[in-house]
Amino acid sequence: MSEIFIENHNQKLKDLIFKRRLWNIFIIISLLIAVLLSSSIIDINSSRLLNGLPRLGDYISQILPSLDSSSLFLDSNKEGSIAYWYFNLPKYLKLLFETFNMALLATIIGSSIALLLSFLSAKNTAPNSFIYFMTRRTLEFFRGVPEIIFAILFVWALGIGPIAGIIAMTLHTTGSLGKLFSEVHENSDIKPREALKASGGNWPSEMKFGLLPQVLPNLISYTLLRFEINIRASTILGFVGAGGIGQELYLVINFNYYEEVSAIILLIILTVISIDLLSEYLRKNVIEVDNVR
Amino acid sequence: MSDKEIINLHPRIFYPLWKRSPLSIITSLLIFLYIIFSINYFNFSIEDLLNGFSKMKPILYSMVNWNDFLSWNFNSILIGILQTLAMAFLGTLAASIISIPLGLMASRQVVRISFPRFIIRRFLDFIRGVDILIWALIFVRAFGLGPFSGVLAIFVADTGTLSKLYSEAADNSDNKQIEGLTSSGANKLSTLRFGLIPQVMPIFISQSLYFFESNSRSAVILGIVGAGGIGLQLSERMKAQYWDQAFFIIIIILIMVAAIDRLSRFLREKIINI
Amino acid sequence: MKSLKITNLKKRFKNINAVNGISLEINEGEIIGIIGRSGAGKSTLLRMINRLVQPSEGSIEFDDINITSLKGKALRKWRSECAMIFQQFNLVERIDVLTNVLIGSLGRNYNFLNLIGVFSKKEKINALKNLDRFDLSEKALQKAGTLSGGQQQRVAIARALMQKPKILLADEPISSLDPKNAQRVMDDMLKINREDGITIICNLHSLDVAKKYCDRLIGLSDGRVVFDGAPDDLTTEISKELYDIDNE
Repeated sequence: MSEIFIENHNQKLKDLIFKRRLWNIFIIISLLIAVLLSSSIIDINSSRLLNGLPRLGDYISQILPSLDSSSLFLDSNKEGSIAYWYFNLPKYLKLLFETFNMALLATIIGSSIALLLSFLSAKNTAPNSFIYFMTRRTLEFFRGVPEIIFAILFVWALGIGPIAGIIAMTLHTTGSLGKLFSEVHENSDIKPREALKASGGNWPSEMKFGLLPQVLPNLISYTLLRFEINIRASTILGFVGAGGIGQELYLVINFNYYEEVSAIILLIILTVISIDLLSEYLRKNVIEVDNVR
Repeated sequence: MSDKEIINLHPRIFYPLWKRSPLSIITSLLIFLYIIFSINYFNFSIEDLLNGFSKMKPILYSMVNWNDFLSWNFNSILIGILQTLAMAFLGTLAASIISIPLGLMASRQVVRISFPRFIIRRFLDFIRGVDILIWALIFVRAFGLGPFSGVLAIFVADTGTLSKLYSEAADNSDNKQIEGLTSSGANKLSTLRFGLIPQVMPIFISQSLYFFESNSRSAVILGIVGAGGIGLQLSERMKAQYWDQAFFIIIIILIMVAAIDRLSRFLREKIINI
Repeated sequence: MKSLKITNLKKRFKNINAVNGISLEINEGEIIGIIGRSGAGKSTLLRMINRLVQPSEGSIEFDDINITSLKGKALRKWRSECAMIFQQFNLVERIDVLTNVLIGSLGRNYNFLNLIGVFSKKEKINALKNLDRFDLSEKALQKAGTLSGGQQQRVAIARALMQKPKILLADEPISSLDPKNAQRVMDDMLKINREDGITIICNLHSLDVAKKYCDRLIGLSDGRVVFDGAPDDLTTEISKELYDIDNE
């Protein structure tokens, strides 16, 4: 009797393993087919890759600075010094400052508008479902359209310069933060709001004392994250004319001012990393986020 | 107890606002001053803004008036979408595959000595610090215009981020299973295969799916700087000021992104249950 | 003498009748204990009095004003006269005790400066006096979440007092507290009833506590009143029916 039981069990096990193997093979084959299809759509072939690699190597060696250890710290007239590589540093710093401010302003304005709209697009605070639906869809639109497209539009309408970039980033920030904020509201505890309602408080009081104290740390955390992302974005919106250091980078790449390319890229990397670290520090140590939900 | 006595017992409560919560006052003041500074610094003028927005009126008009709808070149749009999807797919796949060894190498579990790990981590940070669009510009220089450069840009940029994620997932994995294997005499490779990888595999796959989703968005943007696909189609129409077609393409893009969103979420839920 | 008249009150949730025809008259200054097991309709009844829940049928009147049809500003005014405390205290844990108490004054006396956290000197003195009645004024600047359960509930009562209410609704106020703190909270409620003349309507699931503190007990079962009278008149048979001991 027990032998039959064990045999059945073994057979079931074999079936399972067989099914698993079949499933894995199916996945691998579909991936391979997808790879083949995609490669033909894009027209990738190994010769292109092989031909391009040396060109890539050439380009990289051209943009890398020709630093000479003996003249590293000499002044900007001497080739091989860091000062020579960064002779345009004052201009870069000015542009970086502009880039930083673009991101900061867009984050401040965007998050404020997002806060107001988030009350309308959270299920538990929206006055009626029509407003909820319309606000949600509007925010999704501003979030879904890539900033660079708005930037192109505003450069066309308002001219080249940082203002186009600021407006583009503000719209995108509003959409993105608006959605995140309303999700935070929806996960909040209703009890303090209930108490406020029961004591005769009006809607603004309910929000200010019943909702905001709970959600504020999360809102600030998301806003800081958004600032990080906006710094990155503002460095490249210049590619389409929206100001900041991106505009300069686009220029030096197109005019083949090789060593300036690496100079600017390095500055951008340093800026992005510092802001990331600062934001991480603020989020971990200064804001008490409510994780216990 | 009289009112005066109460006030004397709790002086802090009756301080004026600026003394009670100086932080919020200072923050509000700083923000206010900053806005005034920016208006000046960026030369905001209401006139310019109004002029600009009146220029946008014809754009808004043509967004809703599609007169010659049937004569649009739908073929190029279709190919554009397929190219963009292919770009995102290949780039994500390549990055996922390469990020596995790189991520493991940057993880405490695999590489015990901190120096080589440190080097690998800084290298990955460097790759991540350069925005994907900058990589795209560089690759367009080397490999020419078109989606091929886009695939490479996605591949390189994602490798940086995915490797970091994988290495963190490996670092956070449960040590006990690995220790169990080592103590029963398994060698390094087997320990990895049976102790570490089964734990982190679902996370790997889930993250890659998430990245495919976000890469399809990036692939659109890359097209605008020359990497082909639907982004290129869009920017060409915008340059030619065919605003109605541009708006149509934007809607198609939003639909495509939403569809991938759903698909990715669906697959990720299935993975969690395997 | 103002009384609260409840006439044939009903509340239907989907196909369940949580409250199925309740008629009562509650007089000024009484301490009423509402007893019955979970699901009997106690909480729903209480929340219809301050309209946190909307009645499906029936009416509630106070001092000849029809509570069931109030809207907007009038509704808020009623809610400010009818304070409520909750089983889980419903304080805002992140902000300090004093502000929590001050929140109670918003229904009665609101001005837009309150929205940025500025309250008048008079209200602050009121709040401190109320906290002092429960020996909690030294905790005024502590975050409410750091207090113990018993202390939080007493802060909630202080908050309710800021409303200068005529009625206090208490929805299972001691269910989350240990016996010692529960007794302290009940003693405090008794105190404000005797000293300020506030009518108290209290949901309790402990029969002993109800008998000890309340002037009048109302027993609910399946959304209906099955007992209404003095605690001494509550026989063991009726208690059994209320708590359905035999059928459990």
